[in-house]
Amino acid sequence: MISFASRRLQSVALTIVVLACVAYWTHWQGSVFEHSAFGTGYLLLAAILFLTLYNLRKKMPIPLWVTSTDWLQAHIYVGFSSAVFFGLHIGWRIPDGFIEGTLAGLYLATFVSGLVGLYWTRTIPHKLARVSEEVIFERIPRLRSRLRAKAEQAVLTTVRSAGVTTLGEFYGNRLQDFFENSRGLRYFLRPTSRLRKSLLAELTEVSRYLSEPERQASELLFALIRKRDDLDFHAALQWRLKMWLFVHIGLTYPLIIVASLHGLLAHLFDGGAL
Amino acid sequence: MPQLEIIVDRPQRWDVPFGDAMRDEDVDQLLLVEPFRSIDPSRFPAALPMRGILKNDSRINVYQDGSIVVREGDYGNSAFLVLRGKVQVVLEGLGREVLGWQPSQKKGFVESMAAWWRSPRLPEVRDRLSAGSSWTTNNRDQVEDLAQTRVFLQDVPRVLDGSWSMTLHQGEIFGELAALTRAPRMVTVVAEGETVLLELRWQGLRDLMRRTDALREHIEGLYRENSLHVHLRETPLLAQLPSESLAAVADATIFETHGDFEWQSPVEPYAPGRQPETVMNEPLIVEEGTPCEGLVLVRSGFARLSHRFGDGHRTLAYLGKGQVYGLAETIQTSLNQEPAAMSSSLRALGYVDVLRIPQAVLEEHVFPNVSQQAIQDAAAKHAFYCTKNHCEKQSESLGAEQGQVETPLLEFLVERRLINGQQSMLIDLDRCTRCDDCVRACAATHDNNPRFVRQGQRHGSYLVAHACMHCVDPVCMIGCPTGAIGRDTESGSVRINDLTCIGCSTCANSCPYDNIRMTEVCDRHGAIAIDKTTQQPIYKATKCDLCSDLAGGPACQHACPHDALVRIDLGNLGELSRWVDR
Ligand code: SF4
Ligand code: SF4
Ligand code: SF4
Repeated sequence: MISFASRRLQSVALTIVVLACVAYWTHWQGSVFEHSAFGTGYLLLAAILFLTLYNLRKKMPIPLWVTSTDWLQAHIYVGFSSAVFFGLHIGWRIPDGFIEGTLAGLYLATFVSGLVGLYWTRTIPHKLARVSEEVIFERIPRLRSRLRAKAEQAVLTTVRSAGVTTLGEFYGNRLQDFFENSRGLRYFLRPTSRLRKSLLAELTEVSRYLSEPERQASELLFALIRKRDDLDFHAALQWRLKMWLFVHIGLTYPLIIVASLHGLLAHLFDGGAL
Repeated sequence: MPQLEIIVDRPQRWDVPFGDAMRDEDVDQLLLVEPFRSIDPSRFPAALPMRGILKNDSRINVYQDGSIVVREGDYGNSAFLVLRGKVQVVLEGLGREVLGWQPSQKKGFVESMAAWWRSPRLPEVRDRLSAGSSWTTNNRDQVEDLAQTRVFLQDVPRVLDGSWSMTLHQGEIFGELAALTRAPRMVTVVAEGETVLLELRWQGLRDLMRRTDALREHIEGLYRENSLHVHLRETPLLAQLPSESLAAVADATIFETHGDFEWQSPVEPYAPGRQPETVMNEPLIVEEGTPCEGLVLVRSGFARLSHRFGDGHRTLAYLGKGQVYGLAETIQTSLNQEPAAMSSSLRALGYVDVLRIPQAVLEEHVFPNVSQQAIQDAAAKHAFYCTKNHCEKQSESLGAEQGQVETPLLEFLVERRLINGQQSMLIDLDRCTRCDDCVRACAATHDNNPRFVRQGQRHGSYLVAHACMHCVDPVCMIGCPTGAIGRDTESGSVRINDLTCIGCSTCANSCPYDNIRMTEVCDRHGAIAIDKTTQQPIYKATKCDLCSDLAGGPACQHACPHDALVRIDLGNLGELSRWVDR
């Protein structure tokens, strides 16, 4: 079984060799034909098409000999290489012209979204794995409502059986909103444990005024707050991983359309190479 | 408006009899021969009459000279009774080619794509509900029989010449070992001349044994005898012994069973929300510190090796089939001429069959007959898997070449009996992006409904998902009344025959790992099948089949983009440690 470190080493070495060859070839073309834009353009287009194919592979249910892992590895290194092809293609200058500018913008947006995605897919799993329970994204709403029902039940039981309302009032003022509503976009963009900490501290604070049955119910509330916060954390980070992919794939469609248009126009204005 | 429900007959246990040709006259004849003649039919309930068992759970097979009845290495779900003629039991391994092994036929890529393209887009669509009564066809011959093997051995005398074999005659039973222990066949049996055999599927055998003490004792006696015989021959330390010494060892060997053979049923300790069983509750086989009395060989099942630590016990290793316990102590005892103290305790995990060879027998018949090198080889071969802490201390002797994992991980695997899993789905949560590509790939290749749940038991960042693990000891098979769940003859993976599954949920309740799902099924228009009598939906048991029909193997593993998911033998700690340390 090849280790991750040696796989990375091999892939990086291969990528560097390929890029060095391409750079040399471009340089040679430039000196012979004066400009190498068609060659690098086609190379870039081919790289982009190859990168897009990964989405098709993911949709294919039947295992091919090449595993999705291998394909993703190729996707990552071809993706990095495409940035070099892009640089060579535009001659390391900012492109002018509307179509060229749009195309460069689209490419960069796709490339950067890929980089961000790579970073997130390498870092977010660690964060999720630190949460005690594994949660399936689609099941989160159901689990949330279960937690809310449990919390309400615990509080209502104390009110009904002991006739005391301290915990009930605290729940109504501080916890009801937390258990009933979603955390909002800000939390989804940057999840923190601030609210969890503050609610737990407030509940600890209020514990000194609670009767025995309420104290028992508050123990359960402590656990439920933690669970709910863990669920929100999972929801936020898993949502980010899904949204990122959505954006990254979404950008490839306009990129391919504009790139094809750019190629067509380049040929037309180059003197009828078509 | 499309129809929402379709009323059908619920599939029954005997919708698909084991053999079509079993007539009432055949059953009458059978009732006149032993052991059936001595069985009291009044001990059987009306719903499960003895006649019914013989008629539906057995079949009469005629074998020509040289026909292979069972092949060594195959998984079989039935036992045989010789009705007429005789068979040769070949105890020595014959070559795979001689035994007619063919590489398995899997769908190629194009074929798989075409099947996927043609498959309905609705989940759990069935064209047929059972082989006996279906809503479109009534085509019994399409029911797969995983246990049927008909291969001929050409030129029997030449092939068997020099092989160690024995002959079984009329009235003798064979094949019960594999059928009852969910283990592969250990011998090859060949018909000698035209032979008539009664083949009894294990559900029927079990029902007969339950109600007939004499038959149960007889089968258990056979089981012990055959198990002992074959197992001793397979043990490297004993393999070189001259036959008279081996016979002496066999005579003196004590056969023991610890724990419960149907270990899933009484406690279900690993159902969600239950605490794992503690070491102390496991049946003790040998206690640490007691004087060495001989060698213990594990015949089947698992045993835990533990060492006192503080107030509890720390797991050092587990022993599986073929491994030995106490070899170092027996050698030491023999050298010092006084009993050495056992350095660890041995306890049954669920259920374990062990053989004990007394120290005196080892000293008299084994040690003088084997070289020092052979003893060392045996010690190395039988080295158990152990934890890093333990093996470091004795790296020169036991376990030096074996994979090593951290103690907590080993405790986790042993306590939850996950070591039972030969193809467990292990997910590294530090790499898993929760993209569900694995789930989608599984659904796309299995009736649009994934055969696993991406949740399960966790140890740190490792998750053992709820996917069938294709266990060494698949206890899910224990209660199935129709034999719908069984081992694939060739691969040994545990599969469910959809057409003979009657949806009784026994297997789902028996699986200690909660890896079988009962699902409602519908026709091509989405109408859910409803039982005519009870008006309840009809269920089918579904679980991971390891994508056994697909070229390229498990779709889930292939679909994971981040190298986070693997199908792995959790009993093989070497493989596991390599994967963990990637
Ligand atoms: S269904 Fe359960 S018991 Fe049966 S083989 Fe699969 S995991 Fe093991
Ligand atoms: S091996 Fe196949 S059937 Fe089993 S979980 Fe994976 S994809 Fe599903
Ligand atoms: S495909 Fe791999 S990364 Fe995606 S959810 Fe499954 S195990 Fe996790």
